[in-house]
Amino acid sequence: MHINYWKELKKNTFGKVGLAMLISVVIIAGSSPLLARYDPGEPSHSALKPPSIEHWLGTNDVGQDIWSRLVYGARNTLLVALGVGLFTTLISTVAGASAALVGGLYERIIMRMVDALIAIPAFIVIILVAAYVLPNVWTLIFLISILTWQGGARIVRAQTLSLKERMHVYAARTFGANKLYISTQHIIPDLGPILFAVFIHSATRGVFMEAGLAFLGIADISTSSWGLMMHHALRFYYLDVWKWWLLPTGLALSVTIMAFVFIGHAFETAMDPRLRVMEREDWQC
Amino acid sequence: MKTAKISTYAIAFLIILSLNFLLPRMMPGDPLTAICGEEALVEMTPELRTELMHRFALDEPLRKQFFVYLAGIVRGDLGYSYYYNAPVLEVVLEALPWTLLLLGSSLILSTLLSIIMGIESGWRRGRNSDKSLLTATMVMNGFPNFFIGIILLLLFGVYLGFLPLQGAKTPYSGLSGLNLLLDIARHLVLPLTALTLSQIPSSYLLMRNTMITTLKEPFVLTAKAKGLSEASVRYKHAGRNAILPIVTTTGVRVGIIVTGALFIEMIFSYPGVGLLIYNSLFMRDYPILQGAFFIVTVFVIVANFVVDSLYAKIDPRIGIDGVEHAH
Repeated sequence: MHINYWKELKKNTFGKVGLAMLISVVIIAGSSPLLARYDPGEPSHSALKPPSIEHWLGTNDVGQDIWSRLVYGARNTLLVALGVGLFTTLISTVAGASAALVGGLYERIIMRMVDALIAIPAFIVIILVAAYVLPNVWTLIFLISILTWQGGARIVRAQTLSLKERMHVYAARTFGANKLYISTQHIIPDLGPILFAVFIHSATRGVFMEAGLAFLGIADISTSSWGLMMHHALRFYYLDVWKWWLLPTGLALSVTIMAFVFIGHAFETAMDPRLRVMEREDWQC
Repeated sequence: MKTAKISTYAIAFLIILSLNFLLPRMMPGDPLTAICGEEALVEMTPELRTELMHRFALDEPLRKQFFVYLAGIVRGDLGYSYYYNAPVLEVVLEALPWTLLLLGSSLILSTLLSIIMGIESGWRRGRNSDKSLLTATMVMNGFPNFFIGIILLLLFGVYLGFLPLQGAKTPYSGLSGLNLLLDIARHLVLPLTALTLSQIPSSYLLMRNTMITTLKEPFVLTAKAKGLSEASVRYKHAGRNAILPIVTTTGVRVGIIVTGALFIEMIFSYPGVGLLIYNSLFMRDYPILQGAFFIVTVFVIVANFVVDSLYAKIDPRIGIDGVEHAH
């Protein structure tokens, strides 16, 4: 692993643009109390107002300030991205790496489970479960993660199997290193890049699924979710309000997803191309 | 080891079956509401309640309930919707053809387009035409399918008024024959475009990648050396061999496209299973939600199984034991 990923990422145009977009979203989320001019949940008597000095993006049907909701929505989206990214990567790593390292019946059971889950349309299952459970942000992160770890686990297992056969691992073994030592000293550190790729991929999927569920109306109405905003705004698409309500929200969501997709693509171009995650597995499923 | 593959899909089916069975029964509150939907409460009399409790064996242990549930599935009984006042299977089967039309046409169209785009792009790797196509597709990849649908809806609803925005055909138009087909085709244009646009990026990127790798293979050099025409090398030799990953991912793509159809049908009020699911979410019509969910997931699992069994025949290099393709 002699690639400086950070350097490679900055050399790639997609990488640069993606990073810039992600940093902007992070800054907006971080400074949302400063940027927002109203409480995002506070209704008022001035409903469906066009943009003005007081309300930069107008107000929605219950008189909430759209700009403030948009700015706070960045927090919700990044929280889901981070949560789903970390938790899914954790499950994928534990399942995939342990399957490759332990082997035998255990590996067969885990991989059979992975194969079965891959054949199931995860998003549809999440919609059904969410319709009954009505999750808040945390249960949603949990729900998405435990239903979408299978693709990552398959990739982590494949990479671990290949790392196990590398020369330096052989060398360590000839010096008498045990399984635990090899796992913690050689295999897990060398998994780093692939784990980052799985993380980016899971984060993208998390953002898309949270927004999609909210867009269908399955969301905690007290949160400022971009998907939920689009769900409400779509009901008024025949009015002019779509210009400052529906479109900016959709664009904010798209820019965030695009940032992750671009970074993932640039990162994986720098990595061994045979290990590409994004192009094997769609973030939409 | 064909049994390994069959057992994988059997496990997938079992997961779906148990989810469908357990979810409404594990929820806090009245399981009867979770099974029959909130509409049923309107008509609920003590007699009906006892009858329904007995029918779903809700007063019996869970194991007994599961057998009653299984027996229902085997008979094709997916429950009764009090909202539509009809058996669930009937309601879902009525919506299914529209979804299949949308799904099928979008699957074919997006596959063909991404194969051609991928071949051309890979062939011209690094040139301006490749770079602009790649950039355009990457940008589109950032747009969630429902936002693509919304943009088309706004574009045609507000500025370009010549395509229908809702439904699958003009209601009460009395059209028949060729006119009816044209009417259906006109209604299909926008949902199909939205769904296809959202499906193209991932398949195109996969195709372009494989094409680039394939072009480095010795047999391509041989074909060129034999003096074959450029088009023949590009399509018959390189393209044809680069197509395999697209074929093998068809099963997964069916799953993605089904989910996409759900959003697109909702946006364009296209009367398929997706709209049915959306309306049942809204109405808390649990029987329909469960029935539609069951049919859709089983359809995807079967599609995966069929593709999985077929591609071992297309390319003998892929093992049929389900282990080979796990890398």
